[in-house]
Amino acid sequence: MSLRVLVCCGSGGVGKTTASAALAMQAALTGQRVAVLTIDPAKRLADSLGIGPLSNTPQRVPLDQLGIETSGHLDALMLDMKATWDGVVRRFGGSPEAQQRILNNRYYGLASTRLAGSHEYMAMQRLYELYESGDYDLILLDTPPTRHAMEFLSAPQRLNGLFDEGVMHWLSLPRSKRGFAALERGSEVVVSVLKRLIGAGTMEEIAEFFDAMQGMWGGFQERSSAVEALLASNETRFVLVTTPAPAARKEAQEFADLLAETKRPFGGFVVNRVVPAPTDKARVSSADLPERPNSVPQDTWEAASLTLLGAAQRQQVLSDGEAQAMAELREQAQGSVPLWPVPELEADVHDLRSLAVLAGHLAPAIEALKQA
Amino acid sequence: MDKRVLFVTGKGGVGKSTLAASVALAAALRGKRVLLVETHGSKRLPGVFGKRALDYRVQHLTSNLHHLSVTSSKALEEYIVGVIKIRALYKLVFRNRVMGPFMDAVPGLHELIQLGKVMDLERASERGRPEWDLIVVDAPATGHGLSMLNAPASMMELTRTGPFYENAKLVQSIWGDPKRTGLLLVTLPEAMPVNETLDLYARLGDYQKQLALCVLNEVHTAPATSAQWAHASAHFETPALQAAKKLADRHMGRVHRQEQARERLSALPCPQAELPFLGHRDLNLADITQLAQQIEGAL
Repeated sequence: MSLRVLVCCGSGGVGKTTASAALAMQAALTGQRVAVLTIDPAKRLADSLGIGPLSNTPQRVPLDQLGIETSGHLDALMLDMKATWDGVVRRFGGSPEAQQRILNNRYYGLASTRLAGSHEYMAMQRLYELYESGDYDLILLDTPPTRHAMEFLSAPQRLNGLFDEGVMHWLSLPRSKRGFAALERGSEVVVSVLKRLIGAGTMEEIAEFFDAMQGMWGGFQERSSAVEALLASNETRFVLVTTPAPAARKEAQEFADLLAETKRPFGGFVVNRVVPAPTDKARVSSADLPERPNSVPQDTWEAASLTLLGAAQRQQVLSDGEAQAMAELREQAQGSVPLWPVPELEADVHDLRSLAVLAGHLAPAIEALKQA
Repeated sequence: MDKRVLFVTGKGGVGKSTLAASVALAAALRGKRVLLVETHGSKRLPGVFGKRALDYRVQHLTSNLHHLSVTSSKALEEYIVGVIKIRALYKLVFRNRVMGPFMDAVPGLHELIQLGKVMDLERASERGRPEWDLIVVDAPATGHGLSMLNAPASMMELTRTGPFYENAKLVQSIWGDPKRTGLLLVTLPEAMPVNETLDLYARLGDYQKQLALCVLNEVHTAPATSAQWAHASAHFETPALQAAKKLADRHMGRVHRQEQARERLSALPCPQAELPFLGHRDLNLADITQLAQQIEGAL
């Protein structure tokens, strides 16, 4: 079975979105049909791909502008939560009337996109749609920023838990009068307390929503099992993006442990913004400096000279910390997990060309992941 | 700055916690009674001050500085028991396996309740004077931080009546008062983080007037400005200097991008402060103390 899905995870600020785009671009440049799906509301991916605002439908990235011949192509999309939710309701919501009942519910409109785990769940749904379409050899998912790694992996269970019969039973009981007498009394108390807190009208709307969702439950659950199976299969690899910074590293390591515990396929670490150590040749002294040309004012010359003489030292300070960080990651990974370092780039990734430079650095990663 | 509550937010990994602690420490050293709040059960800061982290209990860190880790479940219990008055009833209704997921399904509830807790602390008084002179909230990262700010509005839109509605309205009126509360945005001097900060500002809506300070963190320094470097560096094109010049060019590229970031951020209608890059280190007291001295002037 070949690699079909790459899931990029990592803590905030490590360059996860950009790394996902670069991995996708590299795969496309090696001839694959690739899609990259981002969740990020800040639209950073569109920034670096140099295309307009991203949407729920795939947009072709103009790779031909790079002047590189490839039979592959790259599409980019951004998750539209509302549209994906509506799609799920249309798919599993039963009769057209039943679907409309959910779609018209006021609580659904306000809450569906804000339910805990909903972002992650819908990202997985959209990923699965792309997978099923057969339009792509490889799909990259740029996961939403989470406070904890577990938030992403446990999202389907959390959302499924919500539509579990228990909740519906308690909430919709006064309307449909099901269940045991004891439970019924219990839930009447629950409902009356909740009514007091959030108002009877709102309570009614929420109960109606849960009641309507009940019909979708089976389809919902079946679908999430399929997604779960895909994410645990040999067609998927999780890639953890980190930087040498201690906090990011710690979080990546925790995520790696969690992947191992939950038996999900781990591809490797992308270590972003690694600063190389200065070479001895870069250590220069004032004796190496030329005479100040007359065209350069004294103060400018002195400032520039000091900048030059201190360059190696500054680089050393940066690279010392980073070398140690890489060594620690290596040790923790115990040689069994690949580490793909990406040097700190000379400019921000802000357009296709600078993204292609990053993609080049990630070529070994794509190569290794395809073989695995 | 004489705000009563400062809400510190920004993109993930920009140093929010370090800055929140520095701001709190700076104010405490100035003699204010300060409470440093972490939300969503996070409690990283007591350890930095050599203290054991506690759940939902105010804890003394150093001189005038105290700490509280707010969790939404504890705050919710406190609030609901306050409304329905009977703890046994709370236990019956809320301590079962289905209520958790249901409460998760009420949009903005967890955020509202935590924000409400902070506002209660703001109003708490002791012998006729406020218990806290300043409350600093180490808020969640951008997206989550924004949904925290918008939680009162979400709740009001959903409920339209009842105690939750009234509570949201109250929280909104205190929180939305620029005399009492201020927003502190932290960012890094690079293009993407600055884009996000400007984007966040655009999405702040009514809270824009609350923006109190914007902090550029991890600023790199060099003896020369990028203009000076551009003027002189061509004369360093000798074989002996080649490697050093390459490194200096790289560093000055960083400095140049910083200058652009600074320029673009100056579009925001608030003061700007800068803090130096101190190396890639974990949250630690030495850095917090040093940054507290440097941020002091901006407060």
